[in-house]
Amino acid sequence: MNSRKPVLTESNDRFVTMLVLFFFIISCAALLTSGCWKKTPPDTEEILFQQRSRAKIQTLDPAQVGDVPTDEISREFFETLYYYHYLKRPYQMVPQLAAEMPQISEDGRTYIIPIRRDVYFHDDPCFPNGKGRNLIAEDFIYAWKRIADIKVVSKNWWILDGRIRGLNEFREYTKTYRRGQADYSRPVEGLTALDDYTLRIQLIDPWPQLVYILSYISTAPMAKEAADYYGDDIQNRAVGTGAYILKEWSKGSHVEAVRNRRYRQDFYPSEGMPEDIDAGLLADAGKPVPFIDRIIWRIVEEDQPRWLLFKQGRIDINSIPKDNFGQAVSFGQTLTEDMKKRGIRLQTYIEPNVFYLGFNMTDPLLGGNKPLRLAINYSIDREKFIDLLFNGRGIAAHGFISPAMADYDPNICEHSYSFLDLDKARACLQEAQQIYGGPIPKIRLAVGGTDTTYRQIAQFYQRNIQELGLEIEIELYDWPTFLEKMRKNQLQIIGGSGWMADYPDTENFLQVFYSKNASWPNSTNYASAEFDRIYEEVRLMPDCPQRTRLYRQAERIVMEDLPAAFVFHRIGYILYHDWVGNFKPNAYKAECMGGGFAKYYTLDKEKRRAYWERFK
Amino acid sequence: MNKIQSTNLITEEILPGRSLWADGIRRLRKRPLAMICFVIMILYGGLAVFEFAAELAGWEKASVAHWNEITGPSYQKPFAPYEWIKEDGSKQIRREWFGTDFLGRSTFRRTLYGAKTSITVALCASLISLAIGVPLGAIAGYFRGWIDDLVLWVLSTLDTIPYIVLIMAFAVILRERTVFGLHLRGITAVYLAMGLTSWVGICRLIRGEIIKRKESEYVLAARATGCSNRRIIFRHLLPNVFHIIIINLSLRFVGFIHAEVILSFLGLGETDKPSWGAMIDSARAELARDVWWEMTAATAAIFLLSLALNLFGDALRDCLDPKLRVD
Repeated sequence: MNSRKPVLTESNDRFVTMLVLFFFIISCAALLTSGCWKKTPPDTEEILFQQRSRAKIQTLDPAQVGDVPTDEISREFFETLYYYHYLKRPYQMVPQLAAEMPQISEDGRTYIIPIRRDVYFHDDPCFPNGKGRNLIAEDFIYAWKRIADIKVVSKNWWILDGRIRGLNEFREYTKTYRRGQADYSRPVEGLTALDDYTLRIQLIDPWPQLVYILSYISTAPMAKEAADYYGDDIQNRAVGTGAYILKEWSKGSHVEAVRNRRYRQDFYPSEGMPEDIDAGLLADAGKPVPFIDRIIWRIVEEDQPRWLLFKQGRIDINSIPKDNFGQAVSFGQTLTEDMKKRGIRLQTYIEPNVFYLGFNMTDPLLGGNKPLRLAINYSIDREKFIDLLFNGRGIAAHGFISPAMADYDPNICEHSYSFLDLDKARACLQEAQQIYGGPIPKIRLAVGGTDTTYRQIAQFYQRNIQELGLEIEIELYDWPTFLEKMRKNQLQIIGGSGWMADYPDTENFLQVFYSKNASWPNSTNYASAEFDRIYEEVRLMPDCPQRTRLYRQAERIVMEDLPAAFVFHRIGYILYHDWVGNFKPNAYKAECMGGGFAKYYTLDKEKRRAYWERFK
Repeated sequence: MNKIQSTNLITEEILPGRSLWADGIRRLRKRPLAMICFVIMILYGGLAVFEFAAELAGWEKASVAHWNEITGPSYQKPFAPYEWIKEDGSKQIRREWFGTDFLGRSTFRRTLYGAKTSITVALCASLISLAIGVPLGAIAGYFRGWIDDLVLWVLSTLDTIPYIVLIMAFAVILRERTVFGLHLRGITAVYLAMGLTSWVGICRLIRGEIIKRKESEYVLAARATGCSNRRIIFRHLLPNVFHIIIINLSLRFVGFIHAEVILSFLGLGETDKPSWGAMIDSARAELARDVWWEMTAATAAIFLLSLALNLFGDALRDCLDPKLRVD
C-alpha cells in the first residue's frame, strides 16, 4: 500500500497552528480597524465643514435634479438668477446671478433680467486653458433649452411646460433628432439674450411666481462647453458658478467640495431681522464670503449612524431622528442636559406645509355626506398625533395655509372644525347615518407608504375613527401604486397626505384644491366653482393686500366644505454644534445640508478639536 | 452453540415488522429534546388554531382576539404598574406582561396573535409549494426526456434569481390583484408569493429521488403487473419518498416563517393585523427611545419556534432516513 496520507508531524502541526493564528490576528485587526478606514477629516489649516446627506446623490446635472438632498448639495455648486435672502423673514427673493430684480411689463408677460458681469464658471478642462469663462445670458437660454429637449429627459420640464413662448415648439422640434444632435442655436421666441448681460423672457400668460421658479436649481445656467465636453458624463460633473467646486464624488459614500478661489466678490448680508442681532447673526455683516474652505457630505442613509456621528462631532449639523427626540429635546421643548453639556444648539422653525386626512369627494359615501366627514374630523386627536408620531414637532392645523406663510390668518381657529370633540363626532355620525340610510359600511383608509411611519399613522387614524364605532380598513400602498389608485379614483380616505410649499407664495397651497388639478395634487377631487374662480383670479395677481384677502377667503371655502381634516403643520428642529457660526435655517431648504448657504457659515476649529478630545 | 444461534435466528424471523413511520416515531420518542420541540410546535400550532377559531366564531372572551384593544398608556414598560381608567369610570392598577406599543395596545396579545399570521403563511406556502413541486418533480424524474428538460429549465431559471428578491417581486406583483375573483392583499399575497417561488427545492429533490427509485424492483414489479404510469408515480413511488417530503417541509417551514417576517419588515406583508415581522419593523425605530419590549417579544417568539422546528426537523431526518439512523 503506497497511498500517501497527509501526516501531521510536530513541525507541520506547528506550522498549521501558526497559520491559523496568523489569519485569526489579521481578521481581528481588520475587524477592529475597519471603523478607522472611513474618511476622517485630517487636521489641517483648512476650515472643514462636515455635512451629511440622508440619501444618495442622484446627479449633478441641474436639469435632472429632482430630490431634496441632491438639490441642497447641488446648490453649493450652482447658482440661480434669484435666491432667498439669508436672514430676512418672511422669506424674500433677492438677486443672486441677476444684477437686480426683473423689470416686468405691464401685462406681466415680459421679464427683462440684467445679469451680473462678475460671475465666472468654475475652472474646468472643458474651457480653453481650463479657466472658467464669464457667465452670459446665453448660458441660461442654453440650460432651459436643455430642459425642453425631450432627449435630455429632464425631470424638470413640468416647470416650464406651456409657460414660455416658443419653448414647447422647441421641444417638439427636438423629438425629430437624436440625443445631442438638436440645434440649440435655433431661436425660441420667448428666450432672448438682448446682449451678453441682459436676458428677456416672454411668457404665454402672466406668471407672477416666475421669480420663485428662477430660484429652482434646474434653472441654473449651464455652459455649452461643459455639456458638449462631458456628454452624458455631465451628470457626474458640476461646472457651475457657485462658491464651491466639486472635488470628489464617491457615490454612496461622500461628496467633497473645495472653495472656489475665483468666486466673485460676494458679501455676508448686512440686513436681517431684529432678533438676528442678538443671535450674533449680523456680526460678520459685509465680510467677504465664503468663510469655509472645504465641505464633506457623508452619505449616511440610516438615522442612527447619522445621529451617532453627530454626537461624536463628526457631523456639524443634523436633524433630530424621531426616535432620538427624547435624548435631544426635553418636554419643555428645550435641549436636554446632555445636549447642553455637549454645546449643541437647537433651532426651530415652522415649515411651510400642511398634513391632512383627505376625503375623496367623488366617493359616493364620503363626498355627499358632510356630517360623516365632520364626524371623522372631530374624532382625530391632533395633539396626541403630533406628540406620539412627531414628538410634538408640530402645531395643530385649522386650515391649509401654513403659519410660515405671510398670508396666514391668525384668527383662523375661530372658523375651524379642527379639534377633538367625540360628543360632536357622535352627533354628526348619527346625522350621517340618517343621510346614508343606515349604518355606515366599512371605510378604507389608504396611505402612500409601507414603512413603519406610514403604518403607525394609519393605525393611529384607524384607532381614532374606530372610537366612534366606524369600521376602518387600512390599505398600505407603495407610492407608485398609491398614485395610480388616486388617479383611478379608487381611494376613499387618504391618510398621511401633506403638501409642502415649493416657494413662499400661498398660491402653492391653493393648487391642492383646484378642481382642474383633480387626482393630483388635488387628491381629494374637491371641486368648488367659487374656489376655482378665486384661484384663477388670484394666481395672476401680484403680491398685494387684496390677494391676501382672497387667499383667506378661498381657505374658508375649503374649510367649510371639509374635503380634508387638517391635522398639523410640522415644526422643523435642527441641531448644530456650537462651533458652527452664522447658522440660520431656511424652511425651504429644511435639510440644512447646504442649500447654497454654506458660504455664510463660520467654523471654530479649536472648539471642535476640544470636543473631539472630550467626547472621544 | 449452534443450537443457540439457530434459536436466535428463529426469534428474529418471527418479530413483527415495523413500517418506516412506526420505526421513525419509535426512535423519535427516545429523543427528549425532539419531544420538547414537538410540544412547543404543538403549542404554537394550537395557539394559531385557537386564534383562528376565536376569530371565526367571534369569541369575545378570548383575549388574543382583542389585540387591537388599548390596554394602557403608550409605551408602557413590561410589568410596570400603571393606573388605568376602565370604561365604567373605575380605576384599577394594571401591569402588562410585555408592555404596550405606541397606541397603548398589549404587546403580549399582539405577539400571540403573530403566531397565527406566521403559521398561516408558512402552512399555506408549504402546501402551495408541495402542490407544485412534488408532482412536477415526480413527472420530470419519471418520464425524463423533453418533460424533464423543460422542468429543469424552469427550475434552473428560477434558481438563478435570489430567493428573497424573487419573493419580493412576486409579492409586489400579486398585491392588490384580483385572481379568479379573489382579491389578493395582506398575507394572501405573501403566502401565494412564497408558494409560487419556493417549490424549486422540493421539485429538484423529488425528481432526484424518483430517478433513483424508478428502476427499483417494486416499480418494475408494478410495471410488470400492468400498472399505469400515473398509478406507479402516485401509488408506489411518491408514498416511498413521502418521508423526504416531510423532513424537507419541517425544515422549510422555518424558512417560510423567516420570509414572512422579512416581507412584513419590508412593508409587503400583513397590513391590518399583527405579525412578528411588522412588530420588528415598528420596534426597530423605537429601540432608540428605549422601547425594547416589542422587539424582544417578537424575536423571542420567532427564535423559540425556529429553534423548535429546526431541532425537530433534524431529529426527524435522523429517525426517518435509514442512512442517518444512529441507533
